[in-house]
Amino acid sequence: MMLATSFLALSFLLGESNLTQEGIRAFNSGRYSVALAKLAEAAKDPSDEQAGLFLALSQAATGNCGAALPRLSQLSSTEALAGLAAVKCYSAAGEETKAFGLLDEMAVRWPNNADVLYLKAKLHMKAFNDATLAMFQRTPASYRVHELSAEIFEVQSRYDEAVAEYRKAIEMNPQAPDLHFRLGRAILLAGHSADSLAKASAAFQDESKLNPEDGACEFQLGQISQVEGQKTDAKAHFEKALALAPQFVQVLIALGKMETQDKHYDRALSLLGKAVELQPANETAHYALLTAYRDAGQMEKAKAEKAILDKLQKPPEGEFSDFLKKLGEKPPAQ
Amino acid sequence: MIRLWLAAALYVADFQNVARKAGLTDVFPNGGSVSKQYIIETTGSGIAFIDYDNDGLLDLFVLSGKGGTNRMYHNEGHGRFRDVTQKLGLESSGWAQGVCAGDYDNDGYTDLFVTYWGENHLYRNVGGQRFENVTQKAHLTQERTRYNTGCAFIDIDNDGNLDLFISNYLKFDPATTPQPGANPYCFYRGIAVNCGPRGLPFDRNLLYRNNGDGTFSDISEASGIAAPFGHYSLSVLTGDFNEDGLPDIYVACDQTPSLLYINEGHGKFEEEAVLRGVAFDQNGKAMSGMGLAEGDYINEGHPSIFRTNFSDEFETLYHNLGGGNFDDVTLDAGLGQNTRYVGWGTGFFDFNNAGWKDLLLVNGHVFPEVEKLHIDIHYKDRAILYQNLGNGKFRDVTRDAGPAFNELHSARGAAFGDIDNDGTLDVVINNQNEAPSLFKQSQKAAGHWLILKLQGTKANRSAIGARVKVLTGEHAQWDEVRSGGSYLSQNDLRLHFGLGSAMKVDRIEITWPGGAKQTLENVAADRVLAIRQQP
Repeated sequence: MMLATSFLALSFLLGESNLTQEGIRAFNSGRYSVALAKLAEAAKDPSDEQAGLFLALSQAATGNCGAALPRLSQLSSTEALAGLAAVKCYSAAGEETKAFGLLDEMAVRWPNNADVLYLKAKLHMKAFNDATLAMFQRTPASYRVHELSAEIFEVQSRYDEAVAEYRKAIEMNPQAPDLHFRLGRAILLAGHSADSLAKASAAFQDESKLNPEDGACEFQLGQISQVEGQKTDAKAHFEKALALAPQFVQVLIALGKMETQDKHYDRALSLLGKAVELQPANETAHYALLTAYRDAGQMEKAKAEKAILDKLQKPPEGEFSDFLKKLGEKPPAQ
Repeated sequence: MIRLWLAAALYVADFQNVARKAGLTDVFPNGGSVSKQYIIETTGSGIAFIDYDNDGLLDLFVLSGKGGTNRMYHNEGHGRFRDVTQKLGLESSGWAQGVCAGDYDNDGYTDLFVTYWGENHLYRNVGGQRFENVTQKAHLTQERTRYNTGCAFIDIDNDGNLDLFISNYLKFDPATTPQPGANPYCFYRGIAVNCGPRGLPFDRNLLYRNNGDGTFSDISEASGIAAPFGHYSLSVLTGDFNEDGLPDIYVACDQTPSLLYINEGHGKFEEEAVLRGVAFDQNGKAMSGMGLAEGDYINEGHPSIFRTNFSDEFETLYHNLGGGNFDDVTLDAGLGQNTRYVGWGTGFFDFNNAGWKDLLLVNGHVFPEVEKLHIDIHYKDRAILYQNLGNGKFRDVTRDAGPAFNELHSARGAAFGDIDNDGTLDVVINNQNEAPSLFKQSQKAAGHWLILKLQGTKANRSAIGARVKVLTGEHAQWDEVRSGGSYLSQNDLRLHFGLGSAMKVDRIEITWPGGAKQTLENVAADRVLAIRQQP
């Protein structure tokens, strides 16, 4: 609506015809039949671009995408409103590839446009729902049904149900990659009791048998050993994970922290330096590097890392000030 | 000798909740039990062990939310308490949050400070006979309604007069605070709950200097205490963390980095939590800090810090490396297995008198509505007991520690002390909308013990900030007299040491606030010993 209003203002500036202005007003107020009639008449003048745009928008709004799409496609690179309508038309026609293609282009052009981002999220959600429904209808006996159910439960923080679904999937296809790994992670998300740790550990070991070169499993096993207070075992798993995946940032951090604790500062700084190099925005890596510098007595470098960390952890602009405005209160003086 | 050491090490605790038998049956209201509309219903309240009449027995002060009164219970001996609230002039109303104790006027009787959402109360103890609300007289009234939470008396300049630190949670006004479910900050796992702390305005912490004439002056700005912004402050823990002879202040913050105010001297503080390693967890992420305990759990002479946090977070044990730099050793210490609880009151205490400080924490979720989810996170939960294994590691012995640990409550404050001076420590807990719990062991702990009651002369009379080293053979232990701590609560101001098989202490070294040293040698065990600072 905001965009339409701005078009309206523009049309006055550009001296559009009365017919065009009346048509746009009718479109903005949802009186599409009036809009169609007036804009169709106005669009007979090929130089009246606003009439052409709003005629196409009115056609799209009334389901006549066939008539609307040529003009919408033509204008979608310059007018977000036209692009959004075109995407909706493609999606309604089942032309998902074209819809996502155009949306991707629009997301590059208007990266902060809420309407574009909203439509992108909505279409992806619809695609997910469509595919899920299709799988449940067409392949109900597949282990993938349980795997997907488990992943959905996981997203909903219903970890016990996720674990049960992963187990069903594994029962049906014990050789499928990643299932044991996901099971182990879901068990850990549900809790860290001794029993949970043992079961998760078993799941990661099963995954390791299927993927003996999977550094992620070794990393998880190392983390479990850490929670169990088994530092030596943890370090062995992390070292193995690092050998398998030398650029695995979480492993670099985990090992770097251990080396700091053991006062092996040269290796700690080397590992953690590599971690921040690979992921410059990783807060955990910068914090671990800060600690390593501090313990190594290099306070200026520690302070430099703190400055980076402060910057990374700064809350997004507006998060609190917007809320304070709603409360009718000025933010306290800094 | 060896048999007794083994007995202490292998000792199995049997904690019972003896509150009802002790006469502690009053229910302390604190907001809704099924749902809570506002955040103020979630944070109360603390609890205190103090000996207000100097009869040698710990009395009990319990704070209440709106709809009830704070209550003082006199320890009658033989495990019984009697409500003396009215007689002492302590009847109250409103949302009491935290409590701390200290003899701010050095008259020999322990005074009380109670924080509120609203007007705080300084209660002067008049000869152990009554309490006088001297808040206004002491210049401790506030210009607006503040959400005061933790507090601690602390002698920041070692001048013998106790100053006062007060943490502030946030700015809360029910007239403007959104209703449950009103915005994304008002949901927990998809269910509408009370809003905050995220989304609610921050506030700043306060420091008042004791002028030595019964009045205080606000030095929050001048001291640097008010400088940090962007923290939801709850519990307070004081101690000389960098071991420079000046007391520092640590504050547990909810959903924001915790704070460590390092005392620079001359009334100035610098906030250094991030560089010193106590702002975040080991991943550099801010936790939802609630309660705090300080203890030299590894008996090496440096005060370490334990902080309770929210569910789905680890609790945090910060090992003091010496000089006030810390390392998060939660996982190495074996404290990474309980992540389903929201932790509150906590304390290091040697429950078996083995000579190593164990750890207890009490739990309870902030959202009663969590029960609707039917998950393994609950509004009412059990307490947790960790036994110190003496090698830097702890073992969860909750399941074997007696029936008190099977009880489910939404607990908040917890205080530690010995109510009958038998050398075996007891724990009192403030439960939301229930009577308090009083955890007492059914038998005396196996090891020997010593309780020290310090009295300052040049130093403040309560000896707050005094640091004590107790040496038995090669085994040394350290502790410090402290106001406030746990979760908005007050532990016994006396210091308790478990001695294991040692029937005497070879040497006690006291460093009084200001640096004066005092040593006692060959002190017999199994008694309460009063020590007055040498003039």
